[in-house]
Amino acid sequence: MEEKLNGIITELMEYSGNVLSIEVNEETNLRDDLGLDSFQLAELTVHIEEEFGIDVFEDGLVNTVGEIYKKISDAG
Amino acid sequence: MLDDYFFVDRVKNISINYSRLFFDLQKIKEYTSFCQLDDFYQVFNQIILSILLDKEIILIDADFSEEEKINLLNNLNEQKISFESFKEISLEKIKQKLKTNKNWRLTLFTSGTTGRPKGITHNKSTLLDNVRIAYNKKDDIWGYAYSVTHMAGIQVFFQALLNGNTIVKLFGYNRKQIIESIQKDGVTHISATPTFFRLLLPNESSFTNVKRITFGGEKLSNSLKKNMVDVFPKAKFLNVYASTEAGAIFAAEGDVFEIKKGMQSFVMVKDSILFIHKCKVGESEELVLEEEWYNTGDLVEVLKEDPMTIRFLSRKNEMLNVGGYKVNPYEVEDILRSLKAVQDVRVFGKTNSVLGNIICADIVLHDGHNLTKQEIVSLLKGKIQDFKIPRVVKILDSLEKTRTGKIKRS
Repeated sequence: MEEKLNGIITELMEYSGNVLSIEVNEETNLRDDLGLDSFQLAELTVHIEEEFGIDVFEDGLVNTVGEIYKKISDAG
Repeated sequence: MLDDYFFVDRVKNISINYSRLFFDLQKIKEYTSFCQLDDFYQVFNQIILSILLDKEIILIDADFSEEEKINLLNNLNEQKISFESFKEISLEKIKQKLKTNKNWRLTLFTSGTTGRPKGITHNKSTLLDNVRIAYNKKDDIWGYAYSVTHMAGIQVFFQALLNGNTIVKLFGYNRKQIIESIQKDGVTHISATPTFFRLLLPNESSFTNVKRITFGGEKLSNSLKKNMVDVFPKAKFLNVYASTEAGAIFAAEGDVFEIKKGMQSFVMVKDSILFIHKCKVGESEELVLEEEWYNTGDLVEVLKEDPMTIRFLSRKNEMLNVGGYKVNPYEVEDILRSLKAVQDVRVFGKTNSVLGNIICADIVLHDGHNLTKQEIVSLLKGKIQDFKIPRVVKILDSLEKTRTGKIKRS
């Protein structure tokens, strides 16, 4: 699951023309480290929902990649 | 007051006080009515200058491409004038000119319903009706979260300027930069879309300096409002119904709007549709009036006749609200269809927890053509504004049609 999610994030970054210069891990902050804006976060939720069937931003309370891992595994 | 800051942009390390603003304005000797600038301070200068000169100003989004701009402005003449620079400029003088001006108008270009962006022209009565000037507002510090070409952004600008307040730029910045600006620059008032406020979640800190939060542009969910109370524990919350055509019209604390006495005769509900009298909306060739009334397309429920109290049920038109920006799906479809490889396309909105809606496109390619999502997006860049570009693109063999043969939109 973690590999899949990292793949989604890498693809999202490439798609918007950014190069992923850091290694994505649990601590990685979506906004501060990856610099994702609202549009990219929105896109991320769509891809995660397609893959895992869960809207991780439903309550707006996600900051790090680790928190997404947790939401997905809690739901599964 | 002259020492007070007019404009602060912490990210670019710019802070300009009122005496510097007036000094900068006094150096200018030329004026052009078209204003397409990325720099908010320059745009503010241009707006103030248009008031002082009693001339029209036309604001065009910085991200419109040359091609789009030519299409937009083909009927408009750019006015260019030279003048003796102003010897003395003060806030009083600007206010005085606003009162006595006869020709001053402000036109905003926004995405339209007929495929082509339309200009909406405002005069001082539609723009300044909602500006409140008061002694107890003199120390307000506004977090500026809208674009200057957005109707709400213009209203915040006037509210701040005419009270001699500070404008702190937040628009276009990331979460870290926004949080730092709100804290360090002592922002007291923020008017923004729910999408903007969602960017601040989850909150690591709360802002006790903020006294007033205004939501506009999109429907506000209860869960967001609840979260915002933790982020801004000292703030009062206001929900505004506004449109590009009319600007801010009603305000309420929840989703039920009581229409103020002064406004009641300008509001009408017919067959559950909200109408606003033409004297309260800006002028546009593409605005359809039914006799003297503008059809907002919004469906409302009248809860009480006197004082008139309404609740919004839904927006009737097909414009998609993406983080407070209005996107016309037909405009995006037209642009996509103009690509050689594209045979058919369906553009639609999908409900999204971050932006309200996200733009999606299902695309069928002509035989023998190959295009990736990334290639499609790069072809659209520069042709339409970024917020209109589909974020979710699927290449399909055929589009699903409705039973009547129309392309299914949702």
